[in-house]
Amino acid sequence: MTHKELRHLFSRAGFGIKPKELHKLAILEKTEVVKLLLKESQTITDLKIDLSKFESVDIKNLKQDKALAIKLRQESRKKLRPYNIAWIDRLNNPKERLRERLTLFWANHFVCRDSNIIHVQKYNNTLRTHALGNFRAFTKAISKEAAMIKYLNTKQNKKAKPNENFARELMELFTLGIGNYSEADIKASARAFTGYSFDYWGNFKLIEKHHDFGDKTFFGNTGNFDGDAIIDLILDQKSCAEFICTKIYKYFVNYEVNKTHVNQMVEVFFPVYNIETLMQFVFNSNWFYNEEHIGTKIKSPVDWLTSINQIVPIKFKKQKQLLNIQKMLGQILLFPPNVAGWEEHQSWIDSNTIVLRLKLPVLLLQKTTIPSTLTIDFPDLKTSYFNTFPDWEEFQNAYGSIDNSNLLDYILNCRISPKLKALLKSQQNLNSEDYVIQLLSLPEFQMC
Amino acid sequence: MKRRDFLKNSALASSVMFAPSFVNAANNLVFTNTGQKRLVIIQLSGGNDGLNTVIPVDNDIYYKNRPNISIEKNKALHLSDTISLNPNLIGLQKLYDKGNLCIINNVGYPNPDRSHFRSTDIWQTASDSNQFFKYGWVGRYLDQNAKFAYQAIELDDSLSLALKGKELNGIATKNPEAFFKASNDPFFNQLLRQKTDVHLSEHNLGYLYKTMTDAKSSAKYINEKNTIKDTRITYPNSNFGKQLKTTANLINSNINTQIFYTSLDGFDTHVNQEKRQGGLLKTYAECLEVFVNDLKQNGTFKDTLILTFSEFGRRVSQNAAKGTDHGAANNVFVVGDELKKQGFYNDLATLEDLDDNGDIKYDIDFREIYATILNKWLNVDDTAILIKKFNSLDFI
Repeated sequence: MTHKELRHLFSRAGFGIKPKELHKLAILEKTEVVKLLLKESQTITDLKIDLSKFESVDIKNLKQDKALAIKLRQESRKKLRPYNIAWIDRLNNPKERLRERLTLFWANHFVCRDSNIIHVQKYNNTLRTHALGNFRAFTKAISKEAAMIKYLNTKQNKKAKPNENFARELMELFTLGIGNYSEADIKASARAFTGYSFDYWGNFKLIEKHHDFGDKTFFGNTGNFDGDAIIDLILDQKSCAEFICTKIYKYFVNYEVNKTHVNQMVEVFFPVYNIETLMQFVFNSNWFYNEEHIGTKIKSPVDWLTSINQIVPIKFKKQKQLLNIQKMLGQILLFPPNVAGWEEHQSWIDSNTIVLRLKLPVLLLQKTTIPSTLTIDFPDLKTSYFNTFPDWEEFQNAYGSIDNSNLLDYILNCRISPKLKALLKSQQNLNSEDYVIQLLSLPEFQMC
Repeated sequence: MKRRDFLKNSALASSVMFAPSFVNAANNLVFTNTGQKRLVIIQLSGGNDGLNTVIPVDNDIYYKNRPNISIEKNKALHLSDTISLNPNLIGLQKLYDKGNLCIINNVGYPNPDRSHFRSTDIWQTASDSNQFFKYGWVGRYLDQNAKFAYQAIELDDSLSLALKGKELNGIATKNPEAFFKASNDPFFNQLLRQKTDVHLSEHNLGYLYKTMTDAKSSAKYINEKNTIKDTRITYPNSNFGKQLKTTANLINSNINTQIFYTSLDGFDTHVNQEKRQGGLLKTYAECLEVFVNDLKQNGTFKDTLILTFSEFGRRVSQNAAKGTDHGAANNVFVVGDELKKQGFYNDLATLEDLDDNGDIKYDIDFREIYATILNKWLNVDDTAILIKKFNSLDFI
């Protein structure tokens, strides 16, 4: 594989690739590299933080002790912050790269938000477990997740008074897309998801007295369907495979959809819905490496952060600042804006976020020896604001052997105009650390 | 070049290069575009408890449902025989007395959503509760009626969905001077200079360069305006006070901006509501009073309308923690000169007819208020912006 192809593959399927591995893989064929990529993600490493405080709670006691319950709820909410940081940290140092990339993708597909850390952690690991698995089993598992049961009100969905929220979003956002079902289908399927509930640990339980065991007519079939049966009936529609393949294409290949390529994907995906097989097909196809796909995607804020970390790892003294950066750039993991998720693509960029993205590398990577009296006033940010520890040693280990004149080939994926090349050439006499800060500050660095 | 030098030359140098002569240049500009109408939006984030804001002091149901957190008639600020204001809203009471305030009660939308995020989106995009719009209602205003991003400004670090349009996004800036410096450092300029047609022809990269250009020109323009008439009036020292102060500076400099977006956060009062809400309402009313006076002194109040809303009201019954949970319909404040309807637009809810959750039902769809402002105040096509025809109301 060429360097360019490898960098493309690893920025889309993973979180970038360092020079050493790039050189190692360059002697292999594409299919071999893709095989290695899949093999690496055979294992699953759950993302866990210390929740012993919540695990040692006497659940029976909790029902009586209202004050304790409130206190626990508040502390649970506070744990979202370290879990967010742990997730970012995982993305910066992933063992199973493709699995982590897909976990991130699915988190913006099966969008969910909750403040109970036990349920949030369980949900996140369910995404991770099924990320490369079977989409049928995946969708069924999601429908039974405590966080989802709360988020889309399946908990309030009872035989006597059905709540259609989950049933509607299941079809509109998770499987079929708008226009591929009727209001009657929503009503019927909502009845199938009645009585869904969960215990303290987030394990699913069906409350039988609230579940509607009667016959339902859905997509022309009549029967005593439960939630799983409804999901099977939905996935029997080819339009579901089309919907998912289109979304995967837009995220991994190009926001501008090529119908022919998507149709090829649908033939691979339908009706078994094996995600791993689908991804293997995409990464092995020749069109994935077409010029028009390379370096033409706008990095999400999280992609942006992880791609900087691939080059110069950054540690924050105050974790809150890492959350603040996510907020300012418009994407806080675990806090999606709504059930439709982040819009992706050009919506990441507005006048503020572009200025900030070009400014942040200097603020994050500077050495602390710079006098803090010289302030940079980006909205309330002072030079002294960020307290970071850039790991320049690691940068030197990974990139030190590369000459400044070649460095951009390892850092930028998109096409570089002759004028920019000339501009960069005039800066090549900088030491490599200063030079790389410049590369990271380019609009071109926003692309992957 | 050493890193330190590079940093000085690129990013840090901007603060040094920011010269006062620039201010004088801006002062010499001639302004012809006077008398344009402006809208200032204030979002009380978190769900302000409307019932303890505009208080039905003669309603037994109110006092029965709130044994610990209701506000007694003799402590509240008198508006009428049956209605009073939260004691912290002195500034608002003054506006009421002068006929500069119109209170619209029971504002909401069908099938209300009680999630902060979702309900905020609904208010910001003017969607139905089961619709997901990608663009905000102010963004759609820009798309259809504006040439420049700065025609809608949010006084914050990041841009709300409300100001995101398909063709144009509004500008978010808490501090115009800082925004200007950031977009005016030498490195940024150098990048823009090397921009070529090749860049612009590439779909996404072109979009980045275009946004940079927009940011730069907007930042320069807004900063110029912000420095022309720096107010001498003292605003309360709070983040919200700063937002309104900057807004007043820009309006008084006759900036070509029609919509300003500000917010005050923290109204999610599930626990010990009284103190927390009281403090926030005090900040709100004090800053608002100063803001209106500032505009009045500069003769710009007559062309400014101020709309205050919150994503939802709160439950009629208090909860176990001397607070209130998420509710539905709520009151909306319109502040302006020569309002057609002064005081109360409509009656308060009787609290006898609540929805299944025990929340106030809506009488007026919030989008009717938007439609009225778009049509009668900003003089644009409200149906095209709201994607639906809504009734026009009679407050302006």
